[in-house]
Amino acid sequence: MDGLLTGFLDFMQVFGDNLDAFSKWLSDTIEDTGKAVYDEKFRSGWKATRAFVIIVPTVVLTLFLSWLGTRKRWPRKLLDGIYFASGLIAAVAMVTMLGVIFMQMYSRWTGQTFPGATQYAGYLMAGASFFGLAYALNAGSHIRVNLMLTALGRFRKWGELWCFAIAAVLATYFARYAVKFNFQSVKLNEISQGLDKTEMWIPQLAMSIGTVILAIALWDNLMRMIIEGRSNFKEEGLRDDGLEDLETPAGAATSLDGGR
Amino acid sequence: MDEIYLTVIFVFVLFLLLGTGVWVALALLGVAVVGMEMFTSRPAGDAMITTIWGASSSWTLTALPLFIWMGEILFRTRLSQDMFRGLAPWMARTPGGLLHTNIVGCTIFAAVSGSSAATLLTVGKMSLPELRKRNYPEFMSVGTLAGAATLGLMIPPSIMLIVYGVAVNESISKLFMAGVLPGLTLAAMFMGYAIAWHYLFPSQRPDKEPPISFAEKLWSSRFLIPVIALITLVIGSMYLGYATATEAAAFGVLGSLVLAAAQGSLSPSTFGASLMGAVRTSAMVAFILMGAAFLALAMGFTGLPRALAEFISEQNYSPIALIFALTLFYIVIGCFLDGISTVVLTMAVVEPMVNIPAFREMGFDMIWFGIFVVVVVEMAQITPPIGFNLFVMQGLTKHEMGYIAKTAFPMFMIMVLMVVVLVIFPEIATWLPETMRRSAG
Repeated sequence: MDGLLTGFLDFMQVFGDNLDAFSKWLSDTIEDTGKAVYDEKFRSGWKATRAFVIIVPTVVLTLFLSWLGTRKRWPRKLLDGIYFASGLIAAVAMVTMLGVIFMQMYSRWTGQTFPGATQYAGYLMAGASFFGLAYALNAGSHIRVNLMLTALGRFRKWGELWCFAIAAVLATYFARYAVKFNFQSVKLNEISQGLDKTEMWIPQLAMSIGTVILAIALWDNLMRMIIEGRSNFKEEGLRDDGLEDLETPAGAATSLDGGR
Repeated sequence: MDEIYLTVIFVFVLFLLLGTGVWVALALLGVAVVGMEMFTSRPAGDAMITTIWGASSSWTLTALPLFIWMGEILFRTRLSQDMFRGLAPWMARTPGGLLHTNIVGCTIFAAVSGSSAATLLTVGKMSLPELRKRNYPEFMSVGTLAGAATLGLMIPPSIMLIVYGVAVNESISKLFMAGVLPGLTLAAMFMGYAIAWHYLFPSQRPDKEPPISFAEKLWSSRFLIPVIALITLVIGSMYLGYATATEAAAFGVLGSLVLAAAQGSLSPSTFGASLMGAVRTSAMVAFILMGAAFLALAMGFTGLPRALAEFISEQNYSPIALIFALTLFYIVIGCFLDGISTVVLTMAVVEPMVNIPAFREMGFDMIWFGIFVVVVVEMAQITPPIGFNLFVMQGLTKHEMGYIAKTAFPMFMIMVLMVVVLVIFPEIATWLPETMRRSAG
C-alpha cells in the first residue's frame, strides 16, 4: 500500500514538474506569438505615412504663419493664442486631477469604490504635462545649460538658431511617433489594463496634440529667430528661469522653477 | 572595439547637445534616439513613445504638480511677514541673533515647498531688509540664507526627491520621511555656524535687542500657527499612513488655499498665477522625466551602466571610497548642470553601481542614497558658475555672483560635513521611513 502511495506521489511529482514546464512553455509560446503578431501590426499596420499626413502640413503651415506673423498681426495672435490655450487646457487638467484625487479619497472613506481613479489621475497628469509643454517653452521655463550661449556674446543668435533647429527636429520626431502611436491605439482598439477600461486613444490624444503644439512652437520660434533675430520668449529668449520676477520679489507674477 | 567607438559617440552627442544649450529634456531625447539607433535594431521611435507614455501617465507622478502648486500658492501669500514676526522675538537675543530667522524660516518654508528658489525668495524678501536695518554683517546674512534655502530640496515635500523616487522606482513617501531628520540636522549645523560666528567675531555683533517678555514671545508665535498646522497636516498624514504622497499633496493644496484665503491674499489673479506657474514648472519637470525615462532605456541597451558597475565591483573599492568618489563627481557635475538634470542623468548609470549588497550591509540603501544625492545637489545650488541659488540671490541682493559664492562657501563646507555625518550615521536617513506606518492607498 505504502509502495503504491509513494509511486502515486512520485508520479504526481513528475507530472506536476512537467506540467509546470509545459505551462511555462505554453505561456512563453503564446507570449512570443502575441509579441510577434503585435510587432507585425506595429510595423505594417499603420505606416508612418499616416502620421506624416498630419505632421508635414502642420510644420509647413506653421512656418508660413510664422513668416506671415512678422508682417501681419493676426497670424502672430493666432499662434500665441494656440500656446496660451494649450496652457489653459493643462491648467484645467491639473485642477480636474485634484478633483479626481479628492473624489477617490472621499469614496475610500465612505466605503465606496471609484474604479480606475488612479488611472484617470494618471491620464490627467499626462494631459497637464503635454499640454503644458509649449506654454512652458514660451515662458522660458524649460531648463537648459546656458554657459555656452552666454559665452557667445553677440554671436548668441547663431547658438540660439542651432538650439531651435535641433529642438524643432527632435520635437517633430517626438510628435510624429506620438501621432502614430495614437493611430495604432485606435486601430488595435487598445483598452486600458486597469479598472477604468478606457479606450487608450482618448487620453493619448493629449500626448499627440501636446507634442504637435510643442513642435509648432519650436518651428515658430526658429522662423522668428531667422527673420527677426528674436524668439517668442520674453526678453528675447535670453531668459532662463523665472528670474525676471526677482526685480519685484513681492509681486511674483510668474513661476519659480519648482525643483531648483 | 566597435562598442567602445559607439559609446564614445554616444557620450559625445550627449555633451554636445547639453553643452550647446539645447533644452535638457530634448537633449536627453535626442541622445537616446542616437543610442537606440546605434546599439539595437528595435525601432527607436516606437520604443520611445511606449516608454514615454508609460512614464508620463503614472499615478506616482501626480504628487509632483500638486506639491509644486502648493508651493506656488504659499509663495504668493503673506507667509514671509508672518514667519518673521513669529520667529524674530524668539531669536533676537540668542547667540547668532536674527541670523537664525534665516535658517529656521527656510526650514519651515522648506516643509511646505519643494523648491529652494522659492524658499530663498520667500524668506529673503523679509529677513534681509530687517537684518540690514539692524546692522548684521552682510556676509553672514547672505551666506546663511543662500545655504539654508537649499533645505527646500531636502525637507519634504521635495521636488528633487520625487524626481529621484521616479527615477529609481522608490516610494515617494518613504523618501520624504527619510529627508526629515537629515534636513533638521543640516539646519542645526547651519545654526551652529551662526552661533560660532557670534562667539568668534564679537566685534561684528549688532546692538543688543531690547528684551521681550515670554508672554509676548508666545503671543507673537500665533503667526506661525497656520503654517505649522499645514506642515503637520501634510507630513503627519503621510507618516501615519493616512495618505499617500499624492493625497497628502492634495491636502496641501487645499490647506494652502484656505491659508491664503484666511490671510486675504487669495484673489482670482493670484489663484490663476499660482495655477499657471505650477503648470509651467510641472511641465518642465515632467518633460525632463520623459527624456530621462527614454534615455534610461537606451542606456540599458548601450551596456554602459552594467560595464561600469562591473568594473567598479571588480576593483573592490570600499563603499566609503566609492561614496567619496561619487561626492567629488557630483560636485563637479553640479557646477554645470542643475539638480533635476543631474539626478535623472546620473541615476541610470549610478544605480547599478550602488544598489549592491555591500552597500546595503552598511545601511546605504537606495533611500539613503537619495538623501545623499540631495545633499550633494544642494551643494551644487551654491557653487559657481551655475549654482541656481546664486542667481536667485543675485537677483534679490544685487551682489556679485563671486561675492555670494564666497559667503556661501562655509555653508558648502557644512554640507560636506553633512555627507560625512550621513556616512557615519546612515540611520539619520533610514530610521524614520522604517518606523512609518504603511500607507493606506
